[in-house]
Amino acid sequence: MNYFVKGNPDLCIGCRTCMIGCVVAHEGKRIFEVDPDSYDFNPRLHVVRTVRLSVPVQCKHCENPACMAVCPVGAISQKDHCVIIDQDKCMGCKSCMDACPFGAINMTERKGHVQADGTLKKTANKCDLCYGLPGGPACVRVCPTEALALITEEDLETAMERKRAETARNTFRENHPQE
Amino acid sequence: MGIPEIEDAGCLLCFGYNGADSHPIVARRIVRGRQKGMKIICADPRVTETARISDIHLQLKGGSNLALVNAMANVIWTEGLADTKFIEEHTKGFEDFVKVIEKYTPEYAEPITHIPAETIRKAARMYATTKPAMILYGMGVCQFTQAVDVVKGLANLALMTGNFGGPAMGIGPVRGQNNVQGACDMGALPNSYPGYQNVTDPEARAKFEKAWGVSLPGEIGCPITHVPHRILHEKDEKKRIHAYYIFGEDPAQSDPDLAEVREALDKCDFVVMQDIYMNKTGLYADVILPAAAWGENEGIYTCADRGFQRVRKLIEPEGDVKPDWQIIAEISTAMGYPMNYKNTEEIWNEMIDLCPSFKGATYEKIEKYGCVQWPCRDKSMEDKGTPYLHKDGIFGTKDHKALFYGTDWHPPVELENDQYPMTLSTVREVGHYSVRTMTGNCRTLRNLEDEPGWVQMNTGDCERMGLKKGELVKILSKRGYCITRCLPTDRVEPGATYMTYQWWIGACNELTTAKLDPISNTPEYKYCACRVEKIEDQEWAERHVMELYDDIRAQMGIDTGKGAEA
Repeated sequence: MNYFVKGNPDLCIGCRTCMIGCVVAHEGKRIFEVDPDSYDFNPRLHVVRTVRLSVPVQCKHCENPACMAVCPVGAISQKDHCVIIDQDKCMGCKSCMDACPFGAINMTERKGHVQADGTLKKTANKCDLCYGLPGGPACVRVCPTEALALITEEDLETAMERKRAETARNTFRENHPQE
Repeated sequence: MGIPEIEDAGCLLCFGYNGADSHPIVARRIVRGRQKGMKIICADPRVTETARISDIHLQLKGGSNLALVNAMANVIWTEGLADTKFIEEHTKGFEDFVKVIEKYTPEYAEPITHIPAETIRKAARMYATTKPAMILYGMGVCQFTQAVDVVKGLANLALMTGNFGGPAMGIGPVRGQNNVQGACDMGALPNSYPGYQNVTDPEARAKFEKAWGVSLPGEIGCPITHVPHRILHEKDEKKRIHAYYIFGEDPAQSDPDLAEVREALDKCDFVVMQDIYMNKTGLYADVILPAAAWGENEGIYTCADRGFQRVRKLIEPEGDVKPDWQIIAEISTAMGYPMNYKNTEEIWNEMIDLCPSFKGATYEKIEKYGCVQWPCRDKSMEDKGTPYLHKDGIFGTKDHKALFYGTDWHPPVELENDQYPMTLSTVREVGHYSVRTMTGNCRTLRNLEDEPGWVQMNTGDCERMGLKKGELVKILSKRGYCITRCLPTDRVEPGATYMTYQWWIGACNELTTAKLDPISNTPEYKYCACRVEKIEDQEWAERHVMELYDDIRAQMGIDTGKGAEA
């Protein structure tokens, strides 16, 4: 099963440290180079603020993902519990962006990838659970209120067991209202 | 009370304080308290992150603070929820106070505060009956012409419910800057020496004169917010200010009514600026002293809870920059008063020996305990400081009793009118600290938010004016105008606008009023009348903003070639 990062709006304070943590993790030491224009600022998650909600939103790493199914060049793949976009393969057709029901994919420029007309080529960008980077998802690590968590199959199983136990207890109470 | 205790309060009244934007680390305590079951009452005109998770959000009309506070006191008293034993044993002046709050029934306060009377009642009951109850207040209280009265009003609430002198209770001013408390502790105030020893007290003055070997003036000095007036309009030649030494401050960005500030800096004969990067004030400076940044400095900061904490140097400063204390020592030496400190500890030791309430807070002790809250009077390691200033209801007055202080609400100075039908309040945003001298130079923070900033407006107002998210708009008051981007949000009420004050282009202090609270001398940053105008030619506006930005950067000597885009 694929893993995913989940934000908790009860804990989120909307500070966007996760977005910066994401960029720093993916850009590596390049980000501290002298020229401020030498790196890409493409966060792979986005803090959403509505009237009564603040929470980061990112890829759910679906099973049999729609984005992967529609990609005409096979730039999206599943590996190690994770759905990943190969930005070098991406042709920028935006089909995945259309297909994603969560708004988790956006099109971003990458420095040095210039098209024929001189503008920067845009490719699909989304959470990769910090694939290949040490320490797991950076957003989870940097959040000051611990509002983000990496959810694994085991976590889901534990949560389901807890919910089932609660359901069983409720059933018992319904049958034995006096006790 | 200490900051770590926030999460243990039974009830938190968060008044005019938006922790998530101004102090995320304090906001973390609020969130954690919430997880532990703490009740939260949030009084704020906007839906802040704290309001979002609160039990009761008192979404008051800006500028109605004291009407709300007095109405809460009225409910607590009339419904018999006051702690009469505490009032009797530990306070004075309650009868006079009751006379003031009598008329502030929730029904009286409703049209002023725009909060339903029943909601005010619920909030007052929750605050009075959930123990222990803590109050945190921020700039939403302090940056009004009626500021000190509201602080006293909040203290009245804590007094009448016996919420003083123990863990997770009391009233906490969460300061506007990381070391404002420290600056006040160290006597960076016009009326006191370090340790709150008054300049008008002959005994205190004699002590400092003896220690420093100089004679010191016995008159109270000039508050920063009076400086423009004292440069521009002071008739008494002896009182007129001719030289202005500014460090770690950017009045040409952060002070109200920037047109007046610029005129004052322009007309002032001699301006010295000491800072870590160029800023708007630097454009008016005759001399610029480059200072080391926080990570290149060492010393002591005081937290909002009176806790002294060591700050350690991370890296050695490079180039011609020096730590502030060295610059000051060299200037002083050059002016004929030699200062030969070897390190900050020497300065600290001299200071604590002159301040009885700080005397026990040695470097060694602060190092060992991490944080020492003053008063700490004894150098022995047993004196760990004072977590509760008014422990067990014993107050710092002569008879150890606290004094109730009731005043009537009055409206802000500049109200909405035909020409300027909306209100402007200046606020903070989490990524940028105070003026942009530090965080405007932090690239990832600038990637998140950059010039010309935003004006937060109610979506209904935006729809009526035909304004879309990100559109450049002109915002004006009778003092000036600036251009910024429109941010429609239902987190703010119709008729109100909010801007952060660090942007060079979207500089909302062009609009703010320099009217002051009579006691604290803090300006009314949270209320002035304004008008928002649509700009039809958006392409022109985008170009114009970029030109303004390039122009400022060129004036500051910043490379505008490639970097101007960022």
